[in-house]
Amino acid sequence: MAWTVLAVGVLVLGQGVLAGGRELGELITVHEVTVLAFVVAVTVGELVRLPMPSGRDAAPLASASALAVAFLCQIDGEPDFDVPSGFVVLLVAAGLGIAAVVRRVRGGPAGVDQLAARLIGVAVAAVLTRDVGGDRGSLWDLTLDQDVPRPLVATSMVVVAAIGLVVEIVLSSAVRAERQRTPWSAALRDETGEVAPLTFAVVTSGPLVALMAPVFGLASLPAALFPLAITYVAVERYARNRMTYRQTIATLSQLTEHGGYTPVAHAERVADLSVRIGRLLGLSDRELRDLEYAALLHDLGQLSLRQPIPGGATVLAAPSDQRDIAVEGARIVRHAEGLDLVADYVEAQTTPYRQVRELGEVVPLPSRIIKVANAFDDLTGGRSHPRTSLAAMERIHLGLGYEYDPQVVEALAVATADAMVGRVQEREPAGR
Amino acid sequence: MTAESGGQSRPPARGTPATTVYIGLVAALGIGLTTAAVIREGLVIDGPLVVLGFLAVLTWWSGRIVVANNVTLTFSSIVLLAAMALLGPAGAGIVGILVGPLQRGKVPLRARVFNTGMSAALGVLGGAAYRAAGGPRDSSDVIGAWEIMRQIAIPVFVADLVQVAVNLVLLAGVIRVAGGAPMRNQMLRLLGSTGPAYLGYGVVAFLLVVLWQPADVGPASVALILPPLLVARWAYLQYAEEFKAHERALHVLVAAVEAKAPHLTGHSERVADLSARMAEHLGLRGQVVADTRVAGMLHDLGQTTLPTPLVRGGEDTGGDLVRSYPARGADLLRDLSFLSGSLDAISRHREAHLLEGAIETDDLPARIVGLADEYDLLTEVGTPDGAVLEPEDALRTLGGASERRRELVGALEHAIGRTGGPST
Repeated sequence: MAWTVLAVGVLVLGQGVLAGGRELGELITVHEVTVLAFVVAVTVGELVRLPMPSGRDAAPLASASALAVAFLCQIDGEPDFDVPSGFVVLLVAAGLGIAAVVRRVRGGPAGVDQLAARLIGVAVAAVLTRDVGGDRGSLWDLTLDQDVPRPLVATSMVVVAAIGLVVEIVLSSAVRAERQRTPWSAALRDETGEVAPLTFAVVTSGPLVALMAPVFGLASLPAALFPLAITYVAVERYARNRMTYRQTIATLSQLTEHGGYTPVAHAERVADLSVRIGRLLGLSDRELRDLEYAALLHDLGQLSLRQPIPGGATVLAAPSDQRDIAVEGARIVRHAEGLDLVADYVEAQTTPYRQVRELGEVVPLPSRIIKVANAFDDLTGGRSHPRTSLAAMERIHLGLGYEYDPQVVEALAVATADAMVGRVQEREPAGR
Repeated sequence: MTAESGGQSRPPARGTPATTVYIGLVAALGIGLTTAAVIREGLVIDGPLVVLGFLAVLTWWSGRIVVANNVTLTFSSIVLLAAMALLGPAGAGIVGILVGPLQRGKVPLRARVFNTGMSAALGVLGGAAYRAAGGPRDSSDVIGAWEIMRQIAIPVFVADLVQVAVNLVLLAGVIRVAGGAPMRNQMLRLLGSTGPAYLGYGVVAFLLVVLWQPADVGPASVALILPPLLVARWAYLQYAEEFKAHERALHVLVAAVEAKAPHLTGHSERVADLSARMAEHLGLRGQVVADTRVAGMLHDLGQTTLPTPLVRGGEDTGGDLVRSYPARGADLLRDLSFLSGSLDAISRHREAHLLEGAIETDDLPARIVGLADEYDLLTEVGTPDGAVLEPEDALRTLGGASERRRELVGALEHAIGRTGGPST
């Protein structure tokens, strides 16, 4: 899928070159200043990506600038931006490409397939604006015609921008689904759920630039993006707070490590593995967050044990002790309002799968995931040597259906076979 | 539109006759100015007035979101600024009258009356300032970046400044009349927190005006400008909600201590309370008071790293291991940047324990937490066999020879007095 998107992206780019190639040099010379301004805007917008609370990132300023290029018509102080849609694509591609290179040089992932998705979205918007039209010409022609009421032009632009962004979202969620091995529906749901408010803001910002340009010239670009910049700051703050929240939870998980009850980094590893399995099984962002917190806190109850369990490995403890630890952990977590669900997950993590199957007991999927991830980490001791993993998998398979949920164990097998599965980031994080 | 502290909605302080008179005067000023403007200019009820009036009424719905530290977020200033430019003094006065009284939530009537008078006055004076600074009645024909800056941006900025100034003067007046804090500090504080926000409001209002008239989009401009602002509002709401959740999550840390040491149940909360009151009484800054409270709450966190039998067997039996727990507690919290102000007090509070031969440290928050901790251990937690001291006896035991010590104990006495005995 990623390759398909990439291929289409390259095709669109090729078409851009062909359609624009005719008079490429001339177009660039004529629109020198405009081209420069927008390439810079797209590049900068792409470089100041906005990390979302869930860990993926969005580039609202780049999207808005790119869409503005598609709509751009008259510009005070500059010649009318009368260019073929291919030229628009080329311009945006240049901006995105420079940003990708800069990011690569800085040592980050270039994220080429996401860029391809964005480019295709902009291409759709540009074609709809400049090439498609009825008797009175394209939307671009209508924009040029001062007799057409501006509110009508504005509405059309917003609709076209929305179509372009929807294309981008669908494609990028497809890419993500492929990379994380998440069901596409889940990826699409997360993508729209989290990005929807931002998209809503971007949809009007592109048209805003184009509508102001006839009277305010190129100064419209920074001016019209100002409200979006406010949004950016607000979302960034929200995301940062989410990070500190997680850090607080992580600190809680370290209490047992400092007390010598659990091995160092055990909770972090179980959380990481649990989230990947959860993503593989199509849990929503919200559920994944609670799963992560519960996994971090799953051993918290060991804190009040009189004697540490050898090696902190609950998988080897007596079932009744395991249960006591889970209940105690949940009791502590319940002291915070709003973490009730997390406490439930912690509490149910020791219930054997048999009780779900035979007695119809309701055990939340996140709890079943933590049970499996915890067992795996206890058995491997956090070592990633293939032989250790294999032995641990074998051991877990022995408890299949009795102790562990087979569906979760299957996902575990996929996740341990490929370190990239179920990760939001494009590269494996360099150990915590 | 990122922040507004206090601002128009701050309800005037408790009702003295003087404040009532003052509020009446402000209301009369606002209505009077609006009437005068309408008589002088005439009032045409046209599309823009209806739309902006409607928006003014709608701003009650967006409410005021408390972001943090009394910083709130509102759309009404944007609507009012746009009205100054698009409608002139008379229309802006009318919009001000509409913005003023409508506020969601429990706002006392007197505050609503005050706000109505104030925002009407803001509207008229701001509208007049916009015109005086060269803003045209109708800016439809203003074209070109330079002309727009000169004829719209600068006048909007001037109107913005007038709005801030009038707002400050009227608010400072109400604080003065109510016999409140020194005016100068109050005004500086308000200006510091609202200044950048008003700049933001100004830029958004400017965009709205340019789009409305020169770019000829008309009332539909509102629909183009609003989405990003609504999203920002959404994000701030989420932020505020999570911020609270995060605060609550700190209580889990306390719960962890209490699970480890059941005899300390309630101790952390009480020490946090006492510490904060003492810090307040000693005149520490707001942020330091907050840090001291958190330090009081988490001062025993390090105990979770000790072996359970040692913790439950009563303190002071483990020698060096026990002595090291405050530092271990601070170590645990080292990664949490928002707690950095509390770490020293956490790791050094035990040094300040008088009964263990205190090395009087210079760290005031540490000494505060140390004393509050000691006092609560004596009066509430007690010795392992359950003996507790009466507050007076405890205070006598803790009272020291040095001047500094006496001052600290005085603060403690004051803090206990205010809680009416710290038992909860």
